[in-house]
This record gives sequence, structure tokens and C-alpha cells, in this order.
Amino acid sequence: MAGYKARLEQDLDGWIAKGLVPEASREPILAGVAEPRRLEASSALAAVGGLLLGVAVIAFVAANWSGIPRLGRFGLILGLFLAVCGGAAWAGERRPLARNIALLVAALIYAAAIGLTGQIFDIAGDPRSALHAAGLAAILLALAGRSSGSAIAALALIAIADGKFDGVGGGQPPPWLALAAPLGVGLGWAWRSKPLVHAASLALAVAGLLVLVWLKTNWPMNLDAFAAALGFALLAGGARYLDERDDPVAGVAYGWWVWAALAFFAAAGFGPHPPEALLHRPLWLAAAAGVIALGLHDRRGVVTAAGVAFMAGAVAAILADLGLGLMTAAAVFAAVALIAFAGGFALRRRVRR
Amino acid sequence: MTRSLTVRILGAAALLVALLVALVVRENHARATGREVRLPMEAVDPRDLLTGHYVALRLTQLAPAGQPCPPGSSTMEKPGWIALTPTATGDRVTGAGADRAAAAKYGPILLRGTARCFGDSSDPADRARITLDIGVDRFHADQRQSEAFDKALRDRKVGEASAWAIVSVGQDGKGRLKGVIIDGQRADLTWN
Repeated sequence: MAGYKARLEQDLDGWIAKGLVPEASREPILAGVAEPRRLEASSALAAVGGLLLGVAVIAFVAANWSGIPRLGRFGLILGLFLAVCGGAAWAGERRPLARNIALLVAALIYAAAIGLTGQIFDIAGDPRSALHAAGLAAILLALAGRSSGSAIAALALIAIADGKFDGVGGGQPPPWLALAAPLGVGLGWAWRSKPLVHAASLALAVAGLLVLVWLKTNWPMNLDAFAAALGFALLAGGARYLDERDDPVAGVAYGWWVWAALAFFAAAGFGPHPPEALLHRPLWLAAAAGVIALGLHDRRGVVTAAGVAFMAGAVAAILADLGLGLMTAAAVFAAVALIAFAGGFALRRRVRR
Repeated sequence: MTRSLTVRILGAAALLVALLVALVVRENHARATGREVRLPMEAVDPRDLLTGHYVALRLTQLAPAGQPCPPGSSTMEKPGWIALTPTATGDRVTGAGADRAAAAKYGPILLRGTARCFGDSSDPADRARITLDIGVDRFHADQRQSEAFDKALRDRKVGEASAWAIVSVGQDGKGRLKGVIIDGQRADLTWN
């Protein structure tokens, strides 16, 4: 696939031939466009070799694990962790990709080290606390080494820990993800890391759900879920505003938060205190249609996809609600279709003016 | 900038290692200085493919014939405090409560956890059964040792109480496994 620079070269040749651009400008323009960095074949082979060597060492140690004294096993785990952290420190600023991967691996090794230490020394502990501790360690590594990979691992570990319910009567402690996810979004934005913004934006939606479960809000007409939908809609609006101003990562958050807003809105129509279906379903349909239009306007496929998915969900819900009342279903669909046509017509007139 | 990044990464790694070592030292100290109790146990399954070889422990004891469940143990749903009283046949559950003060009325040794008792005290043949959940549920050992322990536990005759978990009860009330006694053979957790 031709890169931007290759396409620009072709375009420039065409513009020069048509006399739109002076030939003398060709080289300065091309010099101003940086080629994206590519991973060299030798680096890729070295990475694969390193991974395979790591697997071989792990298999060898695993085969002899029970024969190694407890202190030796503990020392092996800590040594491996320190070696990987040492590799990350050595990579430093010169090799950001290697540093990022090394700190991701270090975070996962530390998580495993917590579990293995418990096993080696028969230390009983709460699995949720162990996962939270591993998540905190991953956050520390992420902050120390500016590693988006380690931050993503932290979000995953904390999400798994928060998801461990105590069951009925056990009570649900406050979800740590409610703090970790906004921190992840902030770090992703500060480091311009799309993968981290992906993970943290999704984690924020999960955190919203966990907070509702923890608070046991139980508001009438599921207003708690509607409030969450409104909150994510506002966040999506803010991200869209930044995306239009060429923020490099805002588009990622925009997509996820549109999905979250629609999901909370759709879920608000079910559960313990659902609002009147005749009120909720048309609004759901209208919101989905509006999101489709917005996604097409913004050329954001993920936003359009959210609208389409939730439109299908709304149709399915209406059909399930009405059973054999097809005339009512037809009336609801026709009303929403008329609203969509009217909205489209109004937008078109505004654009023409 | 590069140097400070390197220092930060190495500092974070050193701190995390120190925390893990401190956890092991603290737990080992608490295990060594706690009060030792003997709790009868049953084996469930000797090993697990993912977590290595171990003897899974179920701490279970029968109430003396004709006696009801210890106070507080038949209604205990959330983790609280368990009162133990030493006897010639090991340490027995003599009561339970939601907090330390409530459990202290029933015995001198107080352990954090849940005790659940089931049984009909009106039938002399049916002894109440008390199951303890104190966070101690497995004893890691090598394959040969864990299989030998499991066989010994399964071969026991009904009513025999020849298997014990040796638990250290710390000042904080937490139970820490020190070892097991199976068929009179004691195996302690060591650094080796």
C-alpha cells in the first residue's frame, strides 16, 4: 500500500505538469514530509528470537520447578522481573517501542509473581486484592517508564479484580476502575497513545457500569442509567469537539463514548424500573438514527456502526414488546421515519444556504 | 532526560521487589510468632494443572455427640470471628461472632473467617458438622508428596481424625498455614 509520501510524489508530478506548482518547489515539499518509521527486518527477527528464547527458558524452568528450593524459585521470579525492567531502563528514550514492550512484560511478570509468591510460601490471600496490587504495580511501572502498554495491563488487571463479585449478600466494594480509567484516559491523551485511549475509554464505560452496581442507585424509571447515558453523550461531544480541532487521539474516545452512551440509553429501558416502553423505544430509535447521521457526517465508521447496531437493537426490542401488534409497530417505525426525513430535509436546506 | 527515565524505571522496579520481599518476610514472621492450633481436615483434590501440585484442604470438624452447633455458627453468613478452644483432640470451634468481642465470649483463641454448622442435635446419631473458611485451603507440595498425602487422606476410615492442618493464629486474627499432619507424619512449610 502506497504511503502518504508516495501518493504526494505522484500528485506533485501531476500538479507540476499542469503548471499548478513550480518544479522548484517539488523537493522542498517532499523534504517537509517525514516517512513513517518502519520496523526493520533485523529488529523484527531479533524480537521474535527474544520471544522464543524466553519461551524456551520458561519451559525449562517449568520442567524443573518442583525440584528448585522455595527461595530459589522466589529469586528466579524476582530476577526475571528485574532483568526485564533493566532491559526497559537500557532501552530508555532511544528505543521507546522496546521500552514500552519491556514494561508491559514486566507488569505481567509482576502480576504472576504475586500469585506465585503466594503459592511458593503458601500465603493465603484474597484474589481480588492480589489483582488490585498487580494493577497498582503496573500503574507505577507505566508512570515511571511512560509506558502505555503497562498502563493498559493495569486497566485490565483492575477491571478483572473489580469484576470479581462476592455474590448475593457479600456486598460490592468500590470499583478501583472508577479512578484508574480516568487516569488512563488522561495519560493516553498526554502521551498521544491511541492504544491506551482505546483501552481507557472502554474501561471508563465499564467503570460507569460498576459504579452503578456498587452504589445500588435503584433510581425510579432507571434514571441512573439515563444519567450515565447523558454523561457519556457529553463526553463524546467533548471528544468530538477536540477531534474537529485535529486532536490526534480524540477520535478514538469519541467512538467508544458514543457506543457507551447508546448502550446505557438502551439498557435504561429494561431492568428493575423501566420507563414507559412507548416513550423509551422511539427515543432509542431516534438516537440511533441521529448517531448514524452524525457518523456519516463526521466520516467516523465506528460511530456510524454504533448507530446501526443500536438501531437494529431498537427494532428488535420494539418487535419483542409489541408481539403481534404489527400495526402499532408500523406506526412507531413510520413516525420515526418521518422524523428522520424531516431532520434530513432541514439539514439539507441549511447546507444549501 | 534519558538518565532520569532510567533511574525512574529502576527505582520503581526496586520498590516493587522490596514490597514483595517485605510481604514474604512479614507473613513468615507472623506465621512463626502466632499461636499454633490444630484443626481437623479433609482432602478434596490433590493437584491442579494450572497452579501446580497441592493438597486441597477442607477444614471440617464434628461437634460432640448430642451437642448442638456452637453458638453463632449456624447463622454465620459473612466473614467474622471464630472462637477456638484447645482440647486433647485438637482445637475445637466453640462459638462465632460478627466481631472480636462477640466471639471472645466463647473461647480463648480468636480466628478471622467463617464457620458454618449444619446438623440435627436432636438425633444422637447425627452429629453437627462445622466447616471453616479461614482462607487456608491448600498446601503446596511436590507431586510425590501431595499424591501420598491425598492417598493417606482418602484411605482413612470413617470417624478417624488423623489429618490436621497446623495453623498459626496471629495477633491480627489471621490464620496462616504452617504445615499438615497426616497419619502422624508432620510436614512443615520451610524455606527449602
